[in-house]
Amino acid sequence: MSQSRNGDDEDAGEHPASDRFEEDVLALVPALRRYARSLVRSDPDGEDLLQDCVEKVLSRRAQWRGVNLRAWAFTIMTNLGRNRHRYVAMHPQVALDEDLGLQAEDRESDPLERSRLERALNGLSPENRSVLMLVVIEGYRYQDVAEMMAIPIGTVMSRLSRARRQLAEAMKDDNVISMRRPK
Amino acid sequence: MTDDFNTVSDDDLNAYVDGVLSPEQRARIEKWLERNPARAEEVRQWQAQAVELRAHFAGYARSDVRDRALLSRAAQGDNAQPAPDRVAPHLGRRMRAIAAGLALFAAGTLTGLYAPALLTADTEIRPIAVADSLPRQAQSAFLVYASEVRHAVEVGADEQSHLATWLGKRLDHPLSIPDLSSLGFSLVGGRLLPVNGRAGAMFMYEDGTGQRLTVLLGRNDDNRETSFRIDSANGVETFYWIDGPIGYAVTGEVPRELLQQVADECYRQFEKSEATKS
Repeated sequence: MSQSRNGDDEDAGEHPASDRFEEDVLALVPALRRYARSLVRSDPDGEDLLQDCVEKVLSRRAQWRGVNLRAWAFTIMTNLGRNRHRYVAMHPQVALDEDLGLQAEDRESDPLERSRLERALNGLSPENRSVLMLVVIEGYRYQDVAEMMAIPIGTVMSRLSRARRQLAEAMKDDNVISMRRPK
Repeated sequence: MTDDFNTVSDDDLNAYVDGVLSPEQRARIEKWLERNPARAEEVRQWQAQAVELRAHFAGYARSDVRDRALLSRAAQGDNAQPAPDRVAPHLGRRMRAIAAGLALFAAGTLTGLYAPALLTADTEIRPIAVADSLPRQAQSAFLVYASEVRHAVEVGADEQSHLATWLGKRLDHPLSIPDLSSLGFSLVGGRLLPVNGRAGAMFMYEDGTGQRLTVLLGRNDDNRETSFRIDSANGVETFYWIDGPIGYAVTGEVPRELLQQVADECYRQFEKSEATKS
């Protein structure tokens, strides 16, 4: 197991401009990319949200209290995602662009299944959607989500139930009536 | 969450689905669900939903060659967006020419998402995606295949040496199949599975009662080592660790202590075969 990888281990001095904080943010990018994508309608939109979030994390660095960078970054992403959702709702032409992005996407799994789930998710409110994603995909505890979103834990639970029911309902409907076409 | 033995709330059902209850609490909910088939069906949907959601988004938890550039752009307070036409004003002339070419290409085929990757010079990254998504992928694989009766594995235990050679070749890593008979588990067989988008290997074991366990191996480009970690979701427990080029995950719906013994045993045997091979 001696394949050498260029500079994997001693990168401390290799990027003098970036420091420990930036390295920590960099290490979070894959998780942030997934969370971003789980909040929006398309891949380009996810990358966009990711960029906004990274920018905000870096520019607000002074406000970080030094504990749990990951949760802090996820909170920032949650708020940005909600704002973006409102913006898209008010600017329908943006949503149109994003739909093109979704169709251009080409993955190995069944595209019909993927778009079926995506459609169901797009019916959720941004608040319910973030709670669902933080719990189910990101694995946060209910208490963590309550703190991250600054809401009572009871609200976390009711949003979670609502998201799950609505998603199940949407997927069920979709099973029965599959006449809507992706285009 | 509620004291009344006869009442099960939405909160309880969510906690059940999310695997955050003690064994006693789980047993109480399960008993209640037996008497409430409609709610049991709902819980089943929620569980399936969770598996589907994780699988759907797992692939996005990846590093990208332009992550470092993303960071430096953001650090400069630069509002550049990933679309080539919006990136272009910030780049040099040569880069703009490339961006223009890419934009043409992107307009016809892709979404432009990947274009900036070709524009960045610094491509050194350290993926953490493997450690992050390995337990999730292991749990999905377990949930899907452990419940399969006829097609749980592609190659059965009767062809054990073929199985090891075949999967080792696909994984590009010499492979020996752990023997868990000392813990009461015998090999059912194995199959090829995508792990982080590359060929990975899964072995399935079964005890005398039909209780199943899976051992998942996937390539880890990061080439580092981690300690044992545990991840549980929906009552499915996963022990995972990364050892140089390979990530390992042991998954089962069994008590944590037993699973830890299995993980220890696997680790010991993988280490041993590593030592004899190198």
